[in-house]
Amino acid sequence: MSHPNFESQLDAYLDGELAAVDARELEAHVAQCRECMEFRDRRLALRAAINARVPTFQASDVLRQRVRAAMRKPSMFGSRPRPPRPPRPWRSLAIAASLAVVALGTWQLAARRSAGEALAGDVFTSHVRSLMPGGGHLTDVLSSDQHTVKPWFNGKLDYSPPVYDFAGRGYPLIGGRLDYVGGRPVAALVYGRRQHVINVVLWPSARGGDLGPTTQTRQGYHLLHWNTPAYAYWVVSDLGLTELREFSRLLQQADSAAP
Amino acid sequence: MAAKSSSEGERLDSHELERFETVVLPHLDAAYTLARYLTRNDHDAEDVVQDAYLRALKYFGGFRGEESSARAWVLAIVRNTAYTWRRRQHSDTLGTEFNEELHSDTVADEHPEATLLKRDAGESLTRALDQLPIEFREVIVLRELEGLSYKEISDVAGVPVGTVMSRLSRARQRLQEALCAAEEC
Repeated sequence: MSHPNFESQLDAYLDGELAAVDARELEAHVAQCRECMEFRDRRLALRAAINARVPTFQASDVLRQRVRAAMRKPSMFGSRPRPPRPPRPWRSLAIAASLAVVALGTWQLAARRSAGEALAGDVFTSHVRSLMPGGGHLTDVLSSDQHTVKPWFNGKLDYSPPVYDFAGRGYPLIGGRLDYVGGRPVAALVYGRRQHVINVVLWPSARGGDLGPTTQTRQGYHLLHWNTPAYAYWVVSDLGLTELREFSRLLQQADSAAP
Repeated sequence: MAAKSSSEGERLDSHELERFETVVLPHLDAAYTLARYLTRNDHDAEDVVQDAYLRALKYFGGFRGEESSARAWVLAIVRNTAYTWRRRQHSDTLGTEFNEELHSDTVADEHPEATLLKRDAGESLTRALDQLPIEFREVIVLRELEGLSYKEISDVAGVPVGTVMSRLSRARQRLQEALCAAEEC
């Protein structure tokens, strides 16, 4: 890896957009280049700052209604002048009122969700951290061989996670690492899909199997969650949802076929 | 008189409308966020999003992509609508509300949020983002806030992936400098 290329390469690496081969070369270079490490750490700080401080916005209810109205009667809205905006005090009242309704409606759900939300937050953080070579790392054991990765967890966890290799289906095994989620050490398995990284986090669960997976999106990352009779599964990646669902189905099939 | 326009012919049937509702409508917040950063004020952003959704509705019949690509598809329309909007504002001598050349170096408090974030380095970061040239601003928003892949950003912005990569890197460098100026680093 030549040094001048480093800055844009490193951005692509942190974005999960660098090919696995280049990524490994980059990691090797960074590990022995102090200047690069500092550059990388500044970038990580910037990312964290953007995530925490630069707001996303919600479309107002008024806009939502305008769009919905346009869907019903496109011809009415096709040309100027557009429908008059309601005067501002009315708008804010209407928004406040609808927020109040939403707040009432979601209040009861909130308590039930919070435990799952916290776990999802942990898993999300684990994924983001795994892509930041400064604060953490992607793999403790780097191997595309499931018979190397699985035994690596022996003595590190009180369970032996199922490890598969879906290279034939375009989801090669990259490795695994020990992580900490929901207040316990867990196995995180790393799979790849083109330049995307998929983290699979799982731990023993007595909750029994469910139909799953449930899906949520955080800051552009998709999180899929389901329970098998033996494990609680979380899958997280910036990969498109369609492919991530396909990958999850492969995992579920492999699990149900396992002895 | 002849008020019943020919655009009647562009109406989608109810099945297509339903598909539009499940595939395109969920991205309204993402659309608004992008429009908001491109126009830098909420009135214009709302108008841009409404126009963009009308266009989306009009062309939806031709959208044959997967559901997963709908987000990038909508954002591309929003982006192009915002650029058209911007050009219109430029040519309108009274339209000083949004004028990149006049304001890009001085505009700072276009976001009401700026007041909420006072005394926070977030303000300087959001301000720095607002002051970036529009082609840098859009790649940051599309990547950091909307989570698009490089390929999707390249489709939305109509530039090669290599350009996306270098623009992102340069944009981050500018933001980095703003962050460093506000904090110790």
